[in-house]
Amino acid sequence: MFRHLCKLVWNRKRVNFLITLEIFISFLVVFGVIVFAVYYLDNYRHPLGFNYENVWAVQVGIEKKSDDSDRQRLLDTTKQMLATLKDFGEIEHVAAVWGAPYSRGNWQSGNTIKGRNVRFWGNFMTDEAKDVFGINIVRGRWFGKEDDGANYNPIILNQKTARDIFGDEDPLGKNPEERFDPDPDGPSPSANREPKKPERVIGIIDDFRKNGEFAELFGYQIFRNTLTMPDGREPRAFVMKVRPGTTAEFEEKLVKRMQAIAKDWSFEVKTIAQMRSENHTSYYVPIAAFGLVAGFLMLMVALGLTGVLWQSVTQRTKEIGLRRAKGATATRIYKQILGELLVITTFGLLIGVLVVIQFPLLDFLGFATKQVYLYSMLLSLALIYLLTIACGLYPSRLATKVQPAEALHYE
Amino acid sequence: MIQLEGVEKVYRTDRIETIALTNINLNVRAGEFISIMGPSGSGKSTLLNVIGLLDVPTGGKVALNQKPITAYTDKYLAQMRNEELGFIFQTFHLINDLSVVDNVEIPLLYRKGLSSADRRKRALEALEKVGLQSRVYHFPGQLSGGQQQRVAIARAIVGNPKILLADEPTGNLDSQMGDEIMEVLQSLNRDHQTTVVMVTHDPRQAEKTERIVRLFDGRQVS
Repeated sequence: MFRHLCKLVWNRKRVNFLITLEIFISFLVVFGVIVFAVYYLDNYRHPLGFNYENVWAVQVGIEKKSDDSDRQRLLDTTKQMLATLKDFGEIEHVAAVWGAPYSRGNWQSGNTIKGRNVRFWGNFMTDEAKDVFGINIVRGRWFGKEDDGANYNPIILNQKTARDIFGDEDPLGKNPEERFDPDPDGPSPSANREPKKPERVIGIIDDFRKNGEFAELFGYQIFRNTLTMPDGREPRAFVMKVRPGTTAEFEEKLVKRMQAIAKDWSFEVKTIAQMRSENHTSYYVPIAAFGLVAGFLMLMVALGLTGVLWQSVTQRTKEIGLRRAKGATATRIYKQILGELLVITTFGLLIGVLVVIQFPLLDFLGFATKQVYLYSMLLSLALIYLLTIACGLYPSRLATKVQPAEALHYE
Repeated sequence: MIQLEGVEKVYRTDRIETIALTNINLNVRAGEFISIMGPSGSGKSTLLNVIGLLDVPTGGKVALNQKPITAYTDKYLAQMRNEELGFIFQTFHLINDLSVVDNVEIPLLYRKGLSSADRRKRALEALEKVGLQSRVYHFPGQLSGGQQQRVAIARAIVGNPKILLADEPTGNLDSQMGDEIMEVLQSLNRDHQTTVVMVTHDPRQAEKTERIVRLFDGRQVS
């Protein structure tokens, strides 16, 4: 019977072409939306690497001179700020960071190792950041007093960067820069002017996904900010772990005190939970918009398919009557109409799958892993099959109502 | 082979009640070739549909091949139609998107335990019986009316039914093609002892059968 259905569908290819095309296009659109959704969900299930509960961020706006001549003053102000904030009873831990979690702006760096690109995001943090965020050290240690005055710059890597740079080797105590391919343009002018201390990996963390749960799983390096010259940097945010139950009233007191220390700086206080929520919204909105468009398209496809099938059943009344006269039960007719639809759907989906599996080869939608691709494809296939079956149910049932004696004389 | 006792058929709508058949008593012996005649609206096709289990009588009893039809369930009727009956229609009812041999295979698709090779073998044998072995992979649109009716006959006999029901099988054909089709039906009746019940308007073709049953206003008049 399956061969018979395939033959019938193939011999009616002209009539079935438009349905096949409709299913093919729907599959591509649905796949496009689902691949993003699955990608974000896949990212979401990975550990965030920090704790945002009861963590506040004060983002600072600093007017600084372009020649960096006021950097010492800015670092001193930052130190004074940290000391003042520590005095608040509401604050358990406080640190200065270059980029607070969920804040805009990323500092990206990277290099090549034997021609392979290794890219990572970076952050400068003062020592107490570990306690503010509850960062989990997998191997080695966090920054500490033992790094003061050392002849190296301590760095901490997330597991992905450690793997990307050192493979299966133990990265502790090693300098990542020694693994990078030499710069074809030679050392940079600044490197000649100011010989810098070599880097040394002192710890490996689970992760620090600054851009949030939905963001790409990316390499991460954390540099120690000593707030001293020449390597210290003025922060873009102060992050603080506040005691549970700290109310919004504290915000006013906090800003007042900070403003008193740095009159020309601006401050914006937000909880990290609030920033997280805003960050999530920025992912939900486009997905919801595309999902809505895809939903409407699916609805149109569903209505179109139901209409076409309904008309097809009506046009084939005589054929259905004949099949009943030749021994087909109503159930067989029902299965035949649905079966034909599934064969047509399979044709459309096969073409769709053939197109979609080219995407990784062409590096289109290159952000998705093979697993994400596979899940998205399977989900899209299941969704389109479900849709077509749902559309075929009523027309197929209609076909079973055809009375053979009437159908054979139907005009 | 076919026994009808007091068969009645009434079509009812909300407003009208139409009596299509009244008290039909008919006994067709195995291997007999009979024709049913009567003016338009006399109930010929309705009677054929009742015999062919395509329509359910309002009253009376029907038995085919000594099997009384007591339960008009879809599954049972479908099986009876598939195994005991073969239908030939005035307008052939071939599926234009299937080749001749695929059309002939249709009844066998609904029969259990047949492989696709068995189906193909039987379909080719049936086509040979009606002299169409050279048109096996043609499509209905590429055949003449007579050839199309031969395909329909091959389809009707492919399952080796004991009863052939033909509803004006020559009605859409010219007299020469009509004669050819009658010869095929006669040879099936003669050589394979197939019982044939044929509805016709054509007295010339009816005279070629063993017995004529005449209907008028849903009643059997001879």
